[in-house]
Amino acid sequence: MISFVLPKGRLLDKSLKFLREIGISFEHPKNRELIIKNGSYELLLAKAFDVPVYVEHGMDMGIVGRDVIEEHNFEGTIPLKLPFGKCRLSLAIPREKDVEIDKMEGYRIATKYPRITERFFESHGIEVETIKLHGSIELAPKVGIADAIVDIVDTGKTLRENGLKEIEKIMDISAVLLVNRISQKVKFEKLNVLIFRMREVIKNGY
Amino acid sequence: MKDIFSTSRKLSFVASHLRRVFELWGYQEVFLPALTRYRENIRKGIKIVHSNDIYAVNPDPTSQILESVRDTKRLKLYYIKEVLNGSPRGIWQAGIEFIGGKEMCMGTEIILVAIASLEAIGIRDFRIDIGSKEIWNRTIGKYSSYKKEIFRALILRNFEIIESLPIDDKKKKEMWNLFNFRGRKFRDPKLNGIVEMVKDDRVFIDLGTVRPLPYYTDIIFEIYSPYIGTPIGGGGEYEFNGKSAFGFAFNLNVLISLLDDVVEKGVRNISGVNVV
Repeated sequence: MISFVLPKGRLLDKSLKFLREIGISFEHPKNRELIIKNGSYELLLAKAFDVPVYVEHGMDMGIVGRDVIEEHNFEGTIPLKLPFGKCRLSLAIPREKDVEIDKMEGYRIATKYPRITERFFESHGIEVETIKLHGSIELAPKVGIADAIVDIVDTGKTLRENGLKEIEKIMDISAVLLVNRISQKVKFEKLNVLIFRMREVIKNGY
Repeated sequence: MKDIFSTSRKLSFVASHLRRVFELWGYQEVFLPALTRYRENIRKGIKIVHSNDIYAVNPDPTSQILESVRDTKRLKLYYIKEVLNGSPRGIWQAGIEFIGGKEMCMGTEIILVAIASLEAIGIRDFRIDIGSKEIWNRTIGKYSSYKKEIFRALILRNFEIIESLPIDDKKKKEMWNLFNFRGRKFRDPKLNGIVEMVKDDRVFIDLGTVRPLPYYTDIIFEIYSPYIGTPIGGGGEYEFNGKSAFGFAFNLNVLISLLDDVVEKGVRNISGVNVV
């Protein structure tokens, strides 16, 4: 048995499609179904931030965005960067403001990613206060609880609609493959076959 | 609230068996203080300041031992201790250190003690993977300026990192072969010698094996069970005052989670005498 854990959100369809490319088909989950089986494969659907936790604690493989991994300090292996789920993590401020990062000392930053945010400002020698939110981050400056936000940006439409502008890209994001460190050893051959197949699919321009 | 007694019961079961095994193999228990003055070589622990001095609370025992023992020809020590790693939630660790013996013999003995320890507490289904930092250093050779990236690739098991480096294709292929090598024989006398002397089907050479602590010099190994997703323990070879040394530690929190049945069978229920 090989177990996968995939995030329920925006990456789910793309991840299922990618797995189909390497010959592993799971039916699209119906209703509130969270565990799906297909022969010797098992799929669990979880919240994105829980995917690395499941893989660290014994699920064999997972797919999640690089943002989640950087925030979580994942302790398993990350054998592949996957060619989907591409976006960026950026710093954004209200459109009418004009301020450089070096002048943001003491700023309040709303984000789902306090660790990445603190690391980013530390690398600029700036101390900020982070406010952890779980969604609708772009509303925080609007209601005055934050001076800026660090959030995922795809097309930039949501930022624009909420009166924000992107001033710095913190990192590029794509989906990554996670493997449990012990599964990699115990199921060495079986997992390598899958990883090599994925490498081939990516190399052939997926 | 966490039930401290059920955890203690399991820890006590494991500790008593491990003590017996370690002592049978000639290791002497060392009682390490909770606080040790912080120096650069002290790993893990929590840093606190007292009277203008920085101390580490319950740091990594191997680094604590290396900073605390005076020069000695030969030393065989063991400890059972709670270790902190930057957070107040500790991990119980039991480990041994063998300093100043013959390299191959120490490496073999350490792995045999790990096997004997697990068997003593009733765990027989486990694996030990042995790797070598030196084999990687030799292979990296003239590309040593990329060593950091290459070891990062090993930790993440991400060969794309190596592929993206300006290294010639022949070298990349050599690294790819090492990256995916897992077996019982490799063209390295030290690694082969240890595996041959240990002679146990549960021991493999896996050159993708990595350990998080930086003091290891060559041989490294990881102990794990197919039933649990985190390693039970691990160790390797390091240097102490120019002498070769080997050590390993079990993560007792992980170990006791494998134990439920074993403890129940192993502990006799004597409830005492009820005098009416």
